[in-house]
Amino acid sequence: MVDFSLSPEAESLRDMARKFARTEMAPHAAECDRTPRFPEEIYRKAHELGLMNLNVPTELGGSGLSLFEQCLLVEELAYACGGMTTSIIANCLALEPLLLGGTEEQKQRFLAPFCASYHLASFCLTEPSGGSDAGALRTRARADGQGYVLDGEKCFITNAPHASLYTVFASLDPALRHKGICAFVVPRDAEGVTTGKDEEKMGHRASSTSTVRFDSVRVPASDRLGAEGDGFGLAMRTLDQTRTPIGALATGIAQAALDHAAAYALKRESFGKPIAQHQAIQIKLANMAQQVHASRLLTWHAAWTIDHGARGTLESSIAKCFASDAALHVADEAVQTFGGYGYMKEYPVEKLLRDAKLTQIYEGANEIQRTVIARELLRGYS
Amino acid sequence: MEIVVAVKPVPEAEARLRASADGSGLETDGVKFVLAGYDESAIEQALLLKEAHPPSTVQVLSLGPAARCEEVLRAALALGCDRATLVEAAPSGPLADPMGVARGLAAALRGKKFDLLLVGKQAGDDEEGVVGSALAQLLGVGYAGFVTDLRFDAASGHFRFRRTVERGTELWEAPVPLLVGLQQAWNDPRTAKLPAILRSRKQPIERFDAASALEAAARSLGAAFALPAPRTGAKLLDYRSPQEAAEKLVRALREEAKVFP
Ligand SMILES: Cc1cc2nc3c(=O)[nH]c(=O)nc-3n(C[C@H](O)[C@H](O)[C@H](O)COP(=O)(O)OP(=O)(O)OC[C@H]3O[C@@H](n4cnc5c(N)ncnc54)[C@H](O)[C@@H]3O)c2cc1C
Repeated sequence: MVDFSLSPEAESLRDMARKFARTEMAPHAAECDRTPRFPEEIYRKAHELGLMNLNVPTELGGSGLSLFEQCLLVEELAYACGGMTTSIIANCLALEPLLLGGTEEQKQRFLAPFCASYHLASFCLTEPSGGSDAGALRTRARADGQGYVLDGEKCFITNAPHASLYTVFASLDPALRHKGICAFVVPRDAEGVTTGKDEEKMGHRASSTSTVRFDSVRVPASDRLGAEGDGFGLAMRTLDQTRTPIGALATGIAQAALDHAAAYALKRESFGKPIAQHQAIQIKLANMAQQVHASRLLTWHAAWTIDHGARGTLESSIAKCFASDAALHVADEAVQTFGGYGYMKEYPVEKLLRDAKLTQIYEGANEIQRTVIARELLRGYS
Repeated sequence: MEIVVAVKPVPEAEARLRASADGSGLETDGVKFVLAGYDESAIEQALLLKEAHPPSTVQVLSLGPAARCEEVLRAALALGCDRATLVEAAPSGPLADPMGVARGLAAALRGKKFDLLLVGKQAGDDEEGVVGSALAQLLGVGYAGFVTDLRFDAASGHFRFRRTVERGTELWEAPVPLLVGLQQAWNDPRTAKLPAILRSRKQPIERFDAASALEAAARSLGAAFALPAPRTGAKLLDYRSPQEAAEKLVRALREEAKVFP
């Protein structure tokens, strides 16, 4: 039997994340967006409370949550600030290749000390020459008998300037395409690792994004995840796990936009009545509510599917793609509901629009999600 | 040290409250019950003492309908309390009567050894502030209310604490066992960590049957209940800067309310 009600356990997790989001994150969201500022004190507190390494098993010092539970939390956090949420959940993305492809020894060696105190990690896949076509990446890993030497540059890497650990995807030989890619764990203090300047971004400005360069960086073979050539598969399996929480993040932004719009519509008057009594605004709000609700249910379903052991590529792509498109649309309609005030930085909705936009781009642009959805879909017909 | 904290589930601050159809009290259907701020401060005080004086245990006690009490008891366990005891009582009847609540709690505690019993100085919802002193009377232990900053001096076996009242701050000393009603928000109650929340869902909750004590207890019962009538006449000012707020406020006071020329 399907059951859409939350267990008391899930409810208490959600309540805790809600409280953290509204008391610790929300009061600083506008300031961190405007300045922009990377609020490390908030990220430290998130770590302390167990809101950071959600997908890492408790034995290794993480919170050991199911994907469904992760989604519940992420939606609550994103309701307060999308950018902070991106930085808080970046560890889940960066550590997932280790969880999926690491040996017991590697997990103990890297994850246990990492999770024990506040640390950030970054997932280094995208390169200046392309992100969507991950099989074409150019960062090289040359085997030299004792290990590997990495050379190349990654870009748009979340938390890179503040991270102490990187999971890096590099190619033994670009001619091998997907089959030549390996995944490595590289500490920030390895010789030859440098990060670029903090990018000036449209949204998610409480998060930090930069390039990472690898200049003749030596990596021992014991720090490679999986076998040579396993890297591409590991990256894809990682994204299968982490795509769904992006749907939840988008849902949180959309819910915030809807709540702001509805509250404003009840109090703003035109032509002698609250604008919420004009049918055009009612239809707008009704459509926004449908999109938020559908986003949440698609996200829940994808998480549930994966928690039940399926790979969930189709479900998670649908959830991420739908929820991110919905978030942009709902935030846009919220700005419209606010009229001129919606366009002003003193009001919270224009930030939501800027923050929503990213969810269509990162963790696989929506064009790629649609390609994946179509491929998975057509498989069932051929 | 053996510390006991008695907590009351109260409707969460954001809850939309309505009177029940029969007018006997609050409509509680769909209302979420949580720890009140006073009780959070009391739990924080208990945990600070526990940490300062090992080995100590903190037992948390709640009287009321099982589902509500269980939620706040689990919240207390997640914060770091060691044991939780539920004293079950129906939502109406003795619950409406603070003496009844005190008798139920006293029955659960009678004969048990404790050094300190903490309560909020008043409940977070009806703010009656009776249970603490009544409980002290029933158990025959000393009582102090409006307390902040409670410490234990192991050498003398005395508690030292402050009472901040209108005329100033009093410093007190009292021997164990002691019952204390705590001020709200003078300490900074911790937030439960996520793994502790998950663990708390699996921890056992002891039950105490106080039926006979509760039956004997019902003395006064609420007769009717109504929410205050919505007030009218308030004017909300929209503003985007403190300057604009001040200007609009002055204009409204001068031109509309005519408070000054
Ligand atoms: C704020 C931010 C944070 C990020 N964080 C990280 C991170 O932590 N780690 C990381 O590795 N990456 C990160 N990224 C990178 C992100 O995942 C990529 O930007 C994204 O995958 C798209 O890659 P691209 O920018 O190179 O665009 P391109 O791949 O150049 O694509 C450009 C456009 O063409 C479309 N397109 C490309 N190929 C096809 C196709 N076959 N069919 C149809 N359309 C296509 C794309 O959808 C897109 O619209 C981040 C990006 C941003 C903006």
